[in-house]
Amino acid sequence: MIQRKNARLLALAAMLIFLSTLAVLLARQFNMGPTLPVPAYRSFGPVEAPVQIYEYTDFACPACRHAAEKIDEMLKVFGAGLRVNFKHYPLLTIHPWSFHAAAYADCAGEQGKFKEYAGLLFAGQEKWGQAKDKPKEFEAYAKQLKLDWPKMVTCGDAPETHKRLKLEIAEGDVKGVTATPTFFINGRRAVGSAQLIDQAMKFDNMLRSAAKP
Amino acid sequence: MITKPSSKELAGLLARLAVGGVLVYSGVIKALAPAEEFAFAIESYRVLNAQLSLWAAYAVPWIELYAGLLLAAGVFTRFFAAFNGAMLVFFELLLGQAWLRGLPITSCGCFGSSASNSIEQEFAQNIGLLCLAWAAFKYGGWLTADNAVGPDEA
Repeated sequence: MIQRKNARLLALAAMLIFLSTLAVLLARQFNMGPTLPVPAYRSFGPVEAPVQIYEYTDFACPACRHAAEKIDEMLKVFGAGLRVNFKHYPLLTIHPWSFHAAAYADCAGEQGKFKEYAGLLFAGQEKWGQAKDKPKEFEAYAKQLKLDWPKMVTCGDAPETHKRLKLEIAEGDVKGVTATPTFFINGRRAVGSAQLIDQAMKFDNMLRSAAKP
Repeated sequence: MITKPSSKELAGLLARLAVGGVLVYSGVIKALAPAEEFAFAIESYRVLNAQLSLWAAYAVPWIELYAGLLLAAGVFTRFFAAFNGAMLVFFELLLGQAWLRGLPITSCGCFGSSASNSIEQEFAQNIGLLCLAWAAFKYGGWLTADNAVGPDEA
């Protein structure tokens, strides 16, 4: 009798373990986990905007450059209705310098010029993206924007900077990001700028009503 | 048949649900986040190296989730009350050594990155949870799956 009771309890335990595992894995898939905060210099638009976009991006990816232009247009059109948060997701296997580019963009952000530096990185991605040695463009862009390059080098090599980027990559992996650019628009996934526009249209009313003066 | 509980049994049930609930929450919130995030927190205790911290970060959230859930449901209640108590003692030892060594821990990792109390607060909170785990062990036998599946006697 005791053996039968233990067998029932073991079966119940196995069922609870199976169901809870399934629930957590589904929650991950549907992007219900916590989102790591984004540094202020990588967020654009009002904090309380009704439509929040998280973009996982890679500076060496041509589709991300195209998406960045779309995002800029959307920010201009929808203003108060939209907030965009950039997350780094450098594709390390195909873009050898993306991680460095992301680190330097953050370091430029700490000096107040994330967007400008990111713009130059996107514009020049064909020059530095597949370079064999460390690209000189990183320094050239910094100087073009009158940034403190030695400070950026120190910042770019800092363990804290690397830790933040690795966490963002890991977060993207947990959320099932496999390609760039991947967007989460109020939690809904979109890959590439065509899907971004398609998904954003579902929030059209919210965007337009918030954008009205 | 559900009998009317004594005050101790009721306290035992509440203690079981409280400890189980906290562990389920703590496990889920970490299992939903990247393991690397929790691994960085474990590394800051300077007990395990980076690789082992990552393995621990993969395993611990799920152990917390399962152990908390089974305690709350009352499956092998006394075993899981003792198991969760032992886990809390282990966490106390980790927190205690970090506190004594004055390690610069900015996030204890207890509930992921969303909430981070100081080491002292977490230490005190764990003592409270340990007391509740003891109450669940001693008086947590009311409304359990253990009772629902049948009596022990032959």
